[in-house]
Amino acid sequence: MKLRAETLRVYTAVHSWVGLVAGFALFVAFYAGAITMFHHELPVWQSSAVDAQPESIADAQRLLDEMLARHEGARTHLGLGFPGAESAQASAWWLDTQGVWQFSTLDTLQGSPVPPTSSLAELVNLLHYSLGIPMVGTWLMGVVSLLYGLALVTGVVIHLPKLAKDLFALRPGRNLKRFWQDAHNVIGVLSLPAHVMFAVTGAVLCLAFVLIPLLNPLVYDGKLMAAVPAAMDTAPVVAASGEPAAMQPLAQWHERSVAIAREHGIEDFEPAYLKLQHGGDANAVVEITGETSRALGALGSVAFDAVSGEVLAVQLQGARDANHATLQATYALHFGEFGNHVVQWLYFLLGLAGAFLFYSGNLLWIESRRKRRAIEQGRSSRVMARATVGVCIGVCVAISASFVAAQLAPMLGLDSTAAERWACFGAWALCALWAALRAPSRAVRELLWLAALVTLAIPLAHGIASGWWLWKAAVAGHWVLVTVDAMAIALAAGFVALARASARRAREGDPNSVWADPLPAR
Amino acid sequence: MWGRATAGALAGFVLAAALVGLVGRLWPGPWQATLVPGMVALFPLWIGIAAAAFRFGSGLRAWAWIGGSAVVTLGALWLLQATGWVA
Repeated sequence: MKLRAETLRVYTAVHSWVGLVAGFALFVAFYAGAITMFHHELPVWQSSAVDAQPESIADAQRLLDEMLARHEGARTHLGLGFPGAESAQASAWWLDTQGVWQFSTLDTLQGSPVPPTSSLAELVNLLHYSLGIPMVGTWLMGVVSLLYGLALVTGVVIHLPKLAKDLFALRPGRNLKRFWQDAHNVIGVLSLPAHVMFAVTGAVLCLAFVLIPLLNPLVYDGKLMAAVPAAMDTAPVVAASGEPAAMQPLAQWHERSVAIAREHGIEDFEPAYLKLQHGGDANAVVEITGETSRALGALGSVAFDAVSGEVLAVQLQGARDANHATLQATYALHFGEFGNHVVQWLYFLLGLAGAFLFYSGNLLWIESRRKRRAIEQGRSSRVMARATVGVCIGVCVAISASFVAAQLAPMLGLDSTAAERWACFGAWALCALWAALRAPSRAVRELLWLAALVTLAIPLAHGIASGWWLWKAAVAGHWVLVTVDAMAIALAAGFVALARASARRAREGDPNSVWADPLPAR
Repeated sequence: MWGRATAGALAGFVLAAALVGLVGRLWPGPWQATLVPGMVALFPLWIGIAAAAFRFGSGLRAWAWIGGSAVVTLGALWLLQATGWVA
């Protein structure tokens, strides 16, 4: 395909500017997102609660009754996760009267703003969707998703004339720019479908609720607000009657949801959580969401009257409308919650490959501005190199540090949630400072070695804190623990390889670059 | 560059939103039935228009074409809503 030279020039400029602005945030989102693929495993790993017997439905009933009795906010709206394979304990969540989400289990009936055993998974997820910035972080990541989409379109257009011919070309040699360009292109093209999907679903997840107030008057004639609940939830919105009434027991709801699913031809409906409106009121409505295998958008839900059990609405696989099918597919595609563990590991690799894409983009930016005949490089190259090392390798150190803190904090009598956050953001800030002060060629390999060490400390800290050393967990067949430790060891090995490659490049590569060791003073 | 970038980001958003609204209203069945698919389609449309905006020769041209299309599309949507021709 022929492109006008002008289009090519403009798109190249747009691609590199968008990459410059959004690349750092995208690196963090992809690295943290890859680890977030293990968000079901992380709470188990954090608490080592592998031997815990799952609570019974009677325990869940007790939690439900306690929540309704204790918390005013929970009487308006209460979420409750059934005890099961995912979490041995039943958990509850509600919006308190100040508008803050609270979480409880039978051990923490008063509620806390962070789910107690999954603080580590929450932190990594927070970095993924908001960089850890409260409130505006999510909107910022929404804008970053849009810029990412723009970078994908412009990137493909620039590369289009050579896309097929150069697909499997990876040309190492003296021309480093071409090598990085080849690597950047092949990863970008081969994972393009996933990238397109992440850009679109990421923007939807971050921005949909921000844009609704804007779209409402603009294109929906002010009638959008009234239409949203029916499009997104299963249960109809009802008003409380003010009359108290005895609700059916939780066990009966559980059975009822399975029976309704079976009537709709779904044999393996496994209730995961429920949402209860106006608990204890005569108009109480319960919505039960459950998982079904062999479906994209594995979650389906049924809503019924919590007092009489009369069915109010059904959104199950094969029996749901376009809104719910699209919504569930959006979630499932973004979170990789379909298929089996192969999909989970595939998403993990796609996440790391994406992180590499943005890192190599920054390297290309520096390489294409390199002064080929001078040791001293331009200011912009040096700043970019420092920022890339400090932010990107810094966040790798930071996340690993939070894992180590999660294991060691309870041993030292510290609050785990606070310790993880201090370790994470503290380590990140120190890495950025280190990268700002040292020559980039030195900082990159020092921080990579640091990342390798801290990441390797993850299975050690877990062994020390819980006694579940990797081999012990493997022999006992606790694959969830093995998975997290193995992921850490694999990442540490990757950091070692990168550190060695950086050291080699600094010693033996072209000296006219920010990545070469400064020559000894003469 | 900034003229074309803002044309894609701002006028492009209005055009994408108006297109989603118009297609949703003309689609068989109530417009509420395609809300979420419309919301998902909005983002690739917006990104596509923003990318296309850079193909115009100048910011002024980009604003004229994209802004003009947005006004026409939005006008058609509002006309349908006001007259109730399509429920």
